[in-house]
Amino acid sequence: MPCQILPPYLLEKIAACERPEMAHAATAARRSLVHDAPLRRLGDRSLATDQPSPVPRIADPAMPVESGPAPTVDRTVSDAEGSENLPGKIVRTEGGPVTADSAVTEAYDGLGDTWRLYWEAYGRNSVDGRGLPLDATVHYGQDYDNAFWNGRRMVFGDGDGQLFNRFTISPSVVGHELTHGVTQYTANLVYQGQSGALNESVSDVFGALVEQFARGQRANEASWLIGEGLFTAQVHGVALRSMKAPGTAYDDPVLGKDPQPADMAGFVTTDSDAGGVHLNSGIPNHAFYLAASTLGGYAWEAAGQIWYDTLTGGLAATSDFAAFAQATARAAEARFGGSSAEHAAVLGAWKTVGVLPG
Amino acid sequence: MKVYVSRVGGVAGIRLTWQVRVDDQPDADSWWRLLEDLPWQSAPSGPVQPDRFCYEIKAEPHEAVIAENELDGPWRELVDRVQRADTDSR
Repeated sequence: MPCQILPPYLLEKIAACERPEMAHAATAARRSLVHDAPLRRLGDRSLATDQPSPVPRIADPAMPVESGPAPTVDRTVSDAEGSENLPGKIVRTEGGPVTADSAVTEAYDGLGDTWRLYWEAYGRNSVDGRGLPLDATVHYGQDYDNAFWNGRRMVFGDGDGQLFNRFTISPSVVGHELTHGVTQYTANLVYQGQSGALNESVSDVFGALVEQFARGQRANEASWLIGEGLFTAQVHGVALRSMKAPGTAYDDPVLGKDPQPADMAGFVTTDSDAGGVHLNSGIPNHAFYLAASTLGGYAWEAAGQIWYDTLTGGLAATSDFAAFAQATARAAEARFGGSSAEHAAVLGAWKTVGVLPG
Repeated sequence: MKVYVSRVGGVAGIRLTWQVRVDDQPDADSWWRLLEDLPWQSAPSGPVQPDRFCYEIKAEPHEAVIAENELDGPWRELVDRVQRADTDSR
């Protein structure tokens, strides 16, 4: 944790500043306030001898401990030129000029937006927490309807043009895929059943936050959609998923209706798709939306911080929904206190979706 | 005789299915040879990786579920042919 130089009242003033040229400073100040909140609360508590011992901060190995030059993102975008050969031909490196290829620009910008959320909001330097260069390949395959993190790099298809546009088009999808990398380096949630649905949901949560952070949107201003703009105009639908209203993102003659449940009453049991990892993720997705909306303001701050602490705080790889819910409640208590609005909002959200008993 | 190919998973998590009635194909003989030569008993069975596709292939009495990164050789050929034939007929 870097030393606190600015006093809290000044940070609050900067954080509240809404002038566009101050956006970066405001964000940094808000981050500092969020990070330091428990420390300041501990300071208050130490005056009262009858208070229980303060809960220690969650240790995060990704947090910078040494001072030195501020880390920066290191991006390389390559072009597979319609083949399935990786990595392809390098077309843009960090700081290089914009090219005429919008897929390259979108990939480069999406990687940057994702890196900035993790660094500026959570102090995490890249996917591995140790400055891993962010590499991406665009124009992968023919009519390829997907984007994925292959364990080392991002890969984007151009879509078939009938149902799907190019997969670089949505920053939430870029953030979703890179977050599979973050999960791989942290909780490493097993990609099957409930832990697999949590793996998916964590990617949706931080994918949505990448978009909200880049756009400076508060919880009540955000779309809470994953993959907005990905469908062509021929599809009846707005996005792949909705965290605000799971099950409502599309309803189309070819694709069918968005099958995501919003609560445990709709939990889907299936062998397909690793046990419905892209279906049941609707339940923890909606819990995050509820917690963030209840708290208001910027979702990457309190709610996002709690989910980030949970992901990086020793979560078991085989956690089910209930174990994850309890871990978020512990993380909220550790950072904000057991009688905080944050702790209450997290518990309330999991009860509403039926994961914790009401 | 029908062959079904369902593509599941991907970041979209949307199931799409293609199907072909083998006997209606102009090259039905080559379809039959391809189907009979497939190693149905020893299809690759590795786990699916996050957001990669998974292919569920059905040609009675056979079924196979194959992760995208293991879809090679005759399996890839079958999936490509079914997708192409069904798309052409739409």
